[in-house]
Amino acid sequence: MVTQRTEVLKKALAEAIDEGLLMLGESGRDVIYFRLKQSYALKREDVSSNPEIFVNCLREIFGSGAEVIERAVIKKLYDKLGIEFKEKKRLRFHGISKRS
Amino acid sequence: MLGIYKVGLIIAVGLTLLYAFQGFYPDFIYVFSNAFPPVIAGAAVVTSGLSLERYWRRAKGPFSTVWFYFTLGLFLWFIGEAIWAGYTLILGVELPYPSIADAFWISGYIPFFIGLYVYVKLFGHALTKKAVAITMLVAAALTILVSVALLTPVLKTEEDLTTIVMDFAYPILDLALLSTAILGLIIFWKGKLRKSWLLINAAILMNACADILFSYTTAKDLYYCGHMVDVLFDLAYLFFLMAFYVHTKEF
Repeated sequence: MVTQRTEVLKKALAEAIDEGLLMLGESGRDVIYFRLKQSYALKREDVSSNPEIFVNCLREIFGSGAEVIERAVIKKLYDKLGIEFKEKKRLRFHGISKRS
Repeated sequence: MLGIYKVGLIIAVGLTLLYAFQGFYPDFIYVFSNAFPPVIAGAAVVTSGLSLERYWRRAKGPFSTVWFYFTLGLFLWFIGEAIWAGYTLILGVELPYPSIADAFWISGYIPFFIGLYVYVKLFGHALTKKAVAITMLVAAALTILVSVALLTPVLKTEEDLTTIVMDFAYPILDLALLSTAILGLIIFWKGKLRKSWLLINAAILMNACADILFSYTTAKDLYYCGHMVDVLFDLAYLFFLMAFYVHTKEF
């Protein structure tokens, strides 16, 4: 049961990351996946299992700007899980993914 | 990656020295100061265009939009530089200011500002209200300061209205670009894109200083083709070129 729930969450997170990154455009999204593979040896399909690495990669490139991408991914994740998204001042991806 | 900084530094130092010792070769510096800007501006357009091509290749997105506007703005500035060179080197006009070249330079600010705005707005949520307010206050204070500093020398001359408008327009437009670029620098300060944004800020700052000094020296009748001010314009294009190159390498 727990494994099934984890799988559902992982799938939702993978889709949320994929769609959230689209705020950078398709080429921007591809660059992020390429960076994850090149610098962290993390394949596209494994990103949802390693959200910390994903966040580190974003922060390494965009600095504070990464917050905006994190927020976009969180919003997508909430949508997919059917949870109402409430704007919070300092909403960070790391905290959310841990709670999930 | 270090190569671009080394090449940039060598070119920047070389250009500065070339202008600093112009007393030894006044005829050469006249030709160089008019012929080089279209070359370096053209190189900046090509670099920006290559970034545009890279972001455009897969699909349209915010970065292809940003680079479309950057490339368009730089292209208009390049046309301005080419027209100025045509006036001075082909038609023999001593100081083509104001001229049709200014129409291209001024219009180049619009797409450039849009490009910066779209980029910064995309990540705007990362900015605190305090950071935006401080940046805007500093920009407003600088605009007032520059306008006041130029007021006496510009209004004391018997320049026509178009020239007076141009004298104020360039520095004010530069400061508008600078205030937006500073916001970008604040957003990306902790990331790899900081290098690119530092160079963008340096380029706009060079342009602002050059335009303020150009307005001042032309109003005081001190400007001539090959004046030290010209090196700042060249450095601005060099920094833009480097900024766009570094951006495509980092992201």
